Amino acid sequence: MDFATLLSQLNTGAIVPEGIVIATILFVMVSDLIVGRTRSARFTPYVAIAGLLSAVVALYTTQWNIENPIAFFGEFNSDALSVAFRGIIALSSVATILMSVRYVEQSGTPVSEFISILLTATLGGMFLSGANELVMIFVSLETLSISSYLLTGYTKRDPRSNEAALKYLLIGASSAAIFLYGSSLLYGLSGGKTELGAIAAAMKDANLGSSIGIVIALVFAIAGIAFKIAAVPFHQWTPDVYEGSPTPVVAFLSVGSKTAGFALAIRLLVTVFPLVDEQWTFVMTALAILSMILGNVVALAQTSMKRLLAYSSIGQAGFIMIGLVIGSDAGYSSMIFYLLGYLFMNLGAFSCVILFSLRTGTDQISEYSGLYQKDPLLTLALSLCLLSLGGIPPLVGFFGKLYIFWAGWQAGAYGLVLLGLVTSVISIYYYIRVVKMMVVKEPQEMSDSVKNYPSTSFDAVGMRPLQVGLISALVATTIAGVLSNPLFTFANAAVAKTPMLHAAKAVATGTKAIAQTPSPKLVSSVLSSNS
Amino acid sequence: MTTTFPWLSTIIMLPLAAALFIPVIPDKDGRTVRWYALGVGLADFALSLYALWKHYDFSEAGYQLSESVTWLPQLGVNWSLAIDGLSMPLVVLTGLVTTLSILAGWQVKEKPRLFYFLMLVMYSAQIGVFCAQDLIQFFLIWELELVPVYLLIAIWGGPKRRYAATKFILYTAGASIFILIAALAMAFYGGGALTFDLTQLGLKDYSLGFELLMYAGLLIAYGVKLSVFPLHTWLPDAHGEASAPVSMILAGVLLKMGGYALIRMNVEMLPNAHAYFAPVLAVLGVVNIVYGALASFAQRNLKRRMAYSSISHMGFVLLGIASFTDLGMSGAMLQMVSHGLIASVMFFLAGVTYDRIHTLNMDEMGGLGKKMPSTFALFTIASMASLALPGMSGFVGELMVFLGFANSEIYSTSFKTIIVFLAAVGLIITPMYLLSMLREMFYGKEGKAVEGQVFLDMKPRELFIAASLMLPIIGIGFYPKLITQTYDATAVQIAQNARMVLPTIASNNSPLIRVSMAPNINDTVIVK
Repeated sequence: MDFATLLSQLNTGAIVPEGIVIATILFVMVSDLIVGRTRSARFTPYVAIAGLLSAVVALYTTQWNIENPIAFFGEFNSDALSVAFRGIIALSSVATILMSVRYVEQSGTPVSEFISILLTATLGGMFLSGANELVMIFVSLETLSISSYLLTGYTKRDPRSNEAALKYLLIGASSAAIFLYGSSLLYGLSGGKTELGAIAAAMKDANLGSSIGIVIALVFAIAGIAFKIAAVPFHQWTPDVYEGSPTPVVAFLSVGSKTAGFALAIRLLVTVFPLVDEQWTFVMTALAILSMILGNVVALAQTSMKRLLAYSSIGQAGFIMIGLVIGSDAGYSSMIFYLLGYLFMNLGAFSCVILFSLRTGTDQISEYSGLYQKDPLLTLALSLCLLSLGGIPPLVGFFGKLYIFWAGWQAGAYGLVLLGLVTSVISIYYYIRVVKMMVVKEPQEMSDSVKNYPSTSFDAVGMRPLQVGLISALVATTIAGVLSNPLFTFANAAVAKTPMLHAAKAVATGTKAIAQTPSPKLVSSVLSSNS
Repeated sequence: MTTTFPWLSTIIMLPLAAALFIPVIPDKDGRTVRWYALGVGLADFALSLYALWKHYDFSEAGYQLSESVTWLPQLGVNWSLAIDGLSMPLVVLTGLVTTLSILAGWQVKEKPRLFYFLMLVMYSAQIGVFCAQDLIQFFLIWELELVPVYLLIAIWGGPKRRYAATKFILYTAGASIFILIAALAMAFYGGGALTFDLTQLGLKDYSLGFELLMYAGLLIAYGVKLSVFPLHTWLPDAHGEASAPVSMILAGVLLKMGGYALIRMNVEMLPNAHAYFAPVLAVLGVVNIVYGALASFAQRNLKRRMAYSSISHMGFVLLGIASFTDLGMSGAMLQMVSHGLIASVMFFLAGVTYDRIHTLNMDEMGGLGKKMPSTFALFTIASMASLALPGMSGFVGELMVFLGFANSEIYSTSFKTIIVFLAAVGLIITPMYLLSMLREMFYGKEGKAVEGQVFLDMKPRELFIAASLMLPIIGIGFYPKLITQTYDATAVQIAQNARMVLPTIASNNSPLIRVSMAPNINDTVIVK
């Protein structure tokens, strides 16, 4: 068997984008070894960005219309849904690199190593989005997680960073163990299958119904996923890790890592658990409700900007979960759309936080007071990103929320939509509190950090990328909402082109007639309206 | 009359687009920016007048200057604009008041760029609300105005400005949830092609319970904006704390957004529910009139007194909406326009006074009449207009509402008597608090803030602003047809459509009628 047949049998074309990322990682590591730390720091970030961007291009050109998405004998599924999520993860990594160059340099740690770990985490996330088999899921999940632990502890001289890494590691490891236990149950229940579709089919043939075994496997799997997307009550690590970790890492965790978690959630829950779809929607509904309430309410009391963004990201995950639990096409598209918007606005906000902490060395919200006088650009960018997170029109966040609520109402999840609306009004309060700090305060109320604010030039090494990232996030946040038509088309097409989501629905409606269990109230009308 | 040029989009987008250039205008001392903003305001005002003059037919009741572009087909959202007699006067009012408030903010020293930027954004948002024809688009523009108002109050306001601004944004954002919910619920009701178009949604056949629910939700959303009792508590704080130019816009235009939306959506789109809710509106209207007047009497802060007086005057709009008569509906609209002009000039004059004596506490005023004679004169005229002196626009508006409500055939005589009597009581309290305000400010012994000081009287710029607002007040007062004829066709049609459902409701006399406070719908229709 020659090499070419092997390639075509494995259908390696499906992982071309990941291949590009792997090549980039190798190049970054090797060139770091060859030319040395300081000299490699000058070009590796840009090589990494180029690699990631070409991976995004490759995703769109080679994967979007791929004829045979199943690769490696069912290990990997490069369907349109995975393309959307992989693209979002790669872009979040690009933005993270843009904002990290200066930050890492200033913390006195090597840049190239940081970038290779970050790229590895990205790679894990991208594989996770398309992973279609339990072993593959676990391997990519661990690739993502272990790189994330390394990243959180990257500034090793900072005790808080160490603390964050340890906490993240301990909680992450136990949640990975729980997830693994759930997987082993699935393996057993399906009689030794590991491919997701095969597991579902085997469990259906075995007439397990909604037996306790499946439910336990489901609960354990959800525990693993919920840890990744930081859904309440699996969120406890978030505030501490967000506060202690280097800020660019937090940016990646809050967007890239979360996106991977959502990709896993959709694929695993929809493919493997159609037999217990009422149970999983019930559990996810509960998680969504708790996340929206707790995330948004606890954020009110925060004094540190990073903790505020941590709780806000918990709340945002709650909104996105609405799209998951309603389970309609529009629901999935609204998740993709919201994640795209969230990419711009959240990474924009983190760029601003990084810029501010680079110039003043603090993350306290009270230290932002009076910033308008000293740095109008930063004030504008942070205000717009935060208002967008709060869902104020005409920014992209408004359209994202609109789509989620639209889809939710269409699917009949009235309670969730109402709760989402109420909590997003609550969220306006804490977002606008920061805006108020920056814009409204009088010159005499200026904080000490702002009084000693350095000049707002971007000339220092590594500041240009930050500026580029900041401004492109700002522009995207501002205009992607009003001109969101292409994004809508993209999100809808990604869902429409993914057979998995439609096939699962057929299975679900088929089993519903057999199961005859009463459905949880909030989502009761979902199935009827979409079948 | 159709026109291919998108006049309304141009009118809405011009200030917004112009505002984007404000950060890059070379300007050292804030003078260029203010001329620029004023120029944009005037240009947009002139443009809207021109477009209306050339392409708007005043005798027609339906929508005109319509335009529609598909915006988000995935969600069924369009960018569609149109105006009719209901929105047209308010668009003109917005242009006038906002342009004048930019002129009134001439002396803004602090962050002038941001100030004029926000003013221009407000300009666009307000006109957009009056022209939007798609409910989601309406909601978007409605929300768009939140943050600018928040910042305008929070940065340039009085001592308690931050509290007032936060209260404003939470009240308005919280209440506007109901707009989105109603939009989604109505659009998804009963299947069919998905649309958020106001006219299309109005044509749908809703069940009565659903319609009542929607009506209640929208009433809360717009009631907060219109400051209907008991949702009004943000208003005295916001209007009292905002600086004079911002108060002018708040009282002059923003309140009317609530009244406009109430007529546009609750009355036009949900006529069945309106028939049940109208008595509630009438009662709320009277409560507003009497409560606002009494509360105003108790205020020691000049602007808070005016704010409560606004609450009182908005009661007449509710009464007019509840009347089901042509005259009452027309009166409600005239009252909105007239209050827009009167409240703007009152708040402006309060600002002029504050600029000089640096206090709003009426205990510290007194004897200002001799020191600032022309302010005194203008204040007196404005107060007379506000207390509905014949010959001023306020009188015409309130009289029309009274006549319309009294002639309404659907309420029992006793109900009408009580409502009209109580509203008349409110009308008597109004001169009491306004005249006592004049007395405390301008007559008598010189107060603490006035004693021994010399004040500059009104400058030509300030005289010009006051005169521009007073001219229409007196013009409408003497010859109301000047304005009523521009929108009467629409008002009559709205009232007719609202009346049309009454017989059907009476004929399927459900138990709800007994529960609701509408007395004798049944009897009167049978008598007819």
